[in-house]
Amino acid sequence: MGFELLRPATVPQAVALASAAAPGELAVLAGGTDLLLDVDRGLVAPRRVLSLARLPWHSHRWAKGGLTVGSAEPLRNLELDPRLARRLPGLHDAIRAVGSVALRERATLGGNVVRAAPASDLLPILLAYDAVVDVVGPEGRRSVALDALLARSREPALGHGELVASVAIPTTADSVYRWQRVRPANDVSQVGVAVVRSTERPYWRVALGGVPSRPLRLHDVERELARARPTREELGRAAAVAGASAPFVSDKRASEPYRRRVVALLLTRSVEQLLARATPKAG
Amino acid sequence: MIRPDAREKLSGEAVYGTDLAVERMLYGAFVPSPVPNGVVRRLDLGPARRVPGVVAAVGPDELDRLCPKHDLERPLFPKVAVSYYGQPLAAVAAESPAAARAAVRAVVLEVDAAPPLVDVEELYPAWPEASARGDARTVAHVLARDGDLVEAFARADLVHEETYRTSGVHQVAIEPHACVAEVADGRWSVTTTTQTPFGVREDVSDLLGIPPEKVVVTGTWVGGGFGGKGSSFLEPYALLLAAAAGRPVRLALSYREEFQLGRTTLPMVVRLETAVRDGAITGRRVRLLLDSGASLPGRDFATGYAIAFLLGPYRVGAFEMEGYAIRTNKPPFGPHRAPLAPQCAFALESHTDSLARRLGIDPVEFRLRHVWREGDTTPLGLRVGPFGLAEALERARALRDRWRADGSGSGRGLGVACGFWSTGTGAGGEARLRLGPEGLAIVEGEREIGSGSVVGGLVDVAVRVTGLPPTAVRVVYENTATAPYDTGVFGSRTVGALGQAVAKAAASLVRTLADRLGSRAPVSLEVKGGRVVVVSGRLRRSLEALLTPEERRAGGLVATGKHYGRSGPIDERRVVDGTFYGYQDFTATVALAEVAVDKETGQVSATRVAEFLDVGVALNPALVTAQVEGGVAMGLGTALTEEMLWRDDGRLGNPGLLDYRVPTITEVPPLTVELLEGHKGAGPFGAKGVGEPPIIPVPAAVANALADATGARVTELPLSPERVARALKPL
Repeated sequence: MGFELLRPATVPQAVALASAAAPGELAVLAGGTDLLLDVDRGLVAPRRVLSLARLPWHSHRWAKGGLTVGSAEPLRNLELDPRLARRLPGLHDAIRAVGSVALRERATLGGNVVRAAPASDLLPILLAYDAVVDVVGPEGRRSVALDALLARSREPALGHGELVASVAIPTTADSVYRWQRVRPANDVSQVGVAVVRSTERPYWRVALGGVPSRPLRLHDVERELARARPTREELGRAAAVAGASAPFVSDKRASEPYRRRVVALLLTRSVEQLLARATPKAG
Repeated sequence: MIRPDAREKLSGEAVYGTDLAVERMLYGAFVPSPVPNGVVRRLDLGPARRVPGVVAAVGPDELDRLCPKHDLERPLFPKVAVSYYGQPLAAVAAESPAAARAAVRAVVLEVDAAPPLVDVEELYPAWPEASARGDARTVAHVLARDGDLVEAFARADLVHEETYRTSGVHQVAIEPHACVAEVADGRWSVTTTTQTPFGVREDVSDLLGIPPEKVVVTGTWVGGGFGGKGSSFLEPYALLLAAAAGRPVRLALSYREEFQLGRTTLPMVVRLETAVRDGAITGRRVRLLLDSGASLPGRDFATGYAIAFLLGPYRVGAFEMEGYAIRTNKPPFGPHRAPLAPQCAFALESHTDSLARRLGIDPVEFRLRHVWREGDTTPLGLRVGPFGLAEALERARALRDRWRADGSGSGRGLGVACGFWSTGTGAGGEARLRLGPEGLAIVEGEREIGSGSVVGGLVDVAVRVTGLPPTAVRVVYENTATAPYDTGVFGSRTVGALGQAVAKAAASLVRTLADRLGSRAPVSLEVKGGRVVVVSGRLRRSLEALLTPEERRAGGLVATGKHYGRSGPIDERRVVDGTFYGYQDFTATVALAEVAVDKETGQVSATRVAEFLDVGVALNPALVTAQVEGGVAMGLGTALTEEMLWRDDGRLGNPGLLDYRVPTITEVPPLTVELLEGHKGAGPFGAKGVGEPPIIPVPAAVANALADATGARVTELPLSPERVARALKPL
């Protein structure tokens, strides 16, 4: 069960080490809160583990258009930045949904992207933001939409030797992430719904977690929510489409019909919440 | 207060079972059954023995050879029939955990699989016919009755009939089971994390067929027991491996194995029928179908003890109670804090609430009309002693009405439920005290398990008798070869039973010193300048001056005390079949819960909880309050989130703390704890046991609050969001 821990100090060294490894031989460590569970259970048995801890990816920065998060930045650092709840409230909701404070001291945004878990609480909101992932590899750097990077469960579409350097998240008018679980704290969400509101078309972007085999953008739901202020009927139709269309399954965490009901409900509540926040209170 | 064991535990000096390591120690591992039900065709340990680093491999043949007198009824390894997934079929010991795992993989094992029985209702969708008593899957049947139930039902204004179901719950002690065993010079020694060193000695002696005097058990600090460490588990296997290897062997479970092999409380089905006439209960029939897993420990204890909790702490008129324990393909049943009482209370107290609502009577008022009071006789003919249930209910009603008035908003509900427990189980013990010039030592074989009953409760008893300050009293742990016998830290009995032995020994010390001082008046002890002083009125002598030379050499004056309690006699004329157990020293508890309910998602959260506990006398209010708080938190887990999910193939679907959900601190709301003193128990100074009772009424109180908030009666634990959502609006 033992592995060799590699801790490169520079990005070229890291890429060289990642490129030199045979397929399946190396796993990338960016916090380890998910990876090490799999190692412990024997689901993966990497001979070498490449830690991002010493790379200059341990920060986040705000720019005019949005936020860029280094892939080794612990979620807790984002959570404690008071700008996050103001500028990207949905990401703030999602980060606070991840595990416990202790876990968020180690867990990273980059780790969540690369581990690509179907039940991730972060991926739905990042999808709804149209987040862009900055990837570095033997061929140099490239930017790729998160939606294109998420392929199958735990298998992001990265080339051999490629590492996720950072994630860029454009700011938007407002956003929210809601989840449903058996136990509120420290549990895996049965479903998660992310909704982003924009002041221009398309006004609404919606994504969903808790479905196999990866979190999804719900484009057909977004089409139902065509207008900046959908009517009650339009929202009802959008919720019905959300409940009906996504590829839910029954598993040990929830049944398919329950997931359908709750997704429709969370979508409705999310949109209503964003509409309420968009309307200054009279008087 | 600062707990007496805080420094050792916080500094890391305290050695727990999982910390144990000795020189030349080998690592043991089980060869698990790959199927939950079936027949072993071939077991060849030869290839495992050839794995580098492997020192011993033991199976049924080695058990016969090394322990020829072992218990044939309960062999460590099945020779033929497999009863549950992961059941140990053999075991190996190796120089490293990795070598042990490699050896397990190398074992040649052929097993013919048969379909498992996972759900007792699959076998008995309705109630079992009488012929089921002889069925091979029936491990216990109990039946008792009194009065004319047919008449009561025929003349009733109303018969209220319901079925309730509960889930399997795990103890989730932070520390998994672990021990280190060694066999040398004819001594079978094991150091282990256990609630009962002497119980382990007895089990090992019985299971391996070794005389008890050759078995020596040493307890470690215990990282939580909750019943899960109340009997032997790994110890006989570790000893067998150590005997085969000729070296010490460590055997410890991973947390995953803790779930897969743990002896836990298993699901049950309860059917209740209650007859009411003129607003009063005139008859009750209760039927219990209990999943016993592969076996029931302690004969039919679980059935015969638990079922009486379904009649309740209530006067019910005519009654009949019948229970079956059915063998399924799961690990053996095991106790969990107040075994089955929270589950029985969930069924009974939900039933009582729904009955009262149906009658249009306040549920608390309805209970008050029926609860036992001191001097009453229980359905099994036991006399009720001092009992604080009615007072606890009155207090809960008052607080409920205040909470109702201070604004439970929409979606909120309030629920009350009762529980009772018997804290004098009759299990006895002995204590040895040694009073030296620097203080008093309580010599014990069993260890503190976290509740504080040993480092706090026993010390408090000695303090009250002798007058010494708590800092001058310490507990000294010895192994079973030298420590005085005691049955163990379980059944909320430590202070109530062993505490009486301590009180007797302490009183004997004080009497001896009064004699030596020449005082007719009682003496008390003080500490001055670090030395014990004996005081009687104006007479003061240093203890040292009162000791004989022999006593000085031996470290002090020694006194012993014994306490062997009696279970109350039950009225055997009412018993038709099976064994029922006498309770005594009843303690009462009432919980009040307020919940918030999301009627769409079904999410139920407890927003505040109060508990009222009849403690007799609180010897150490801080430790008692902590027991209540812990019991409420654990009860909220049983109520809302905890559930072992067995799949149809007999495997546990959630063997870990991610999907077996104990409450985190954020799910535990503000708690109000009220300790009721005055209804004195049989323990020292009137104390009653407090470890188990607090959990009992919590799931029911939450369920009643949910019904209050929504009008929906959810009849199955836990009250998880999807289950509640379905009850409110079918999916």
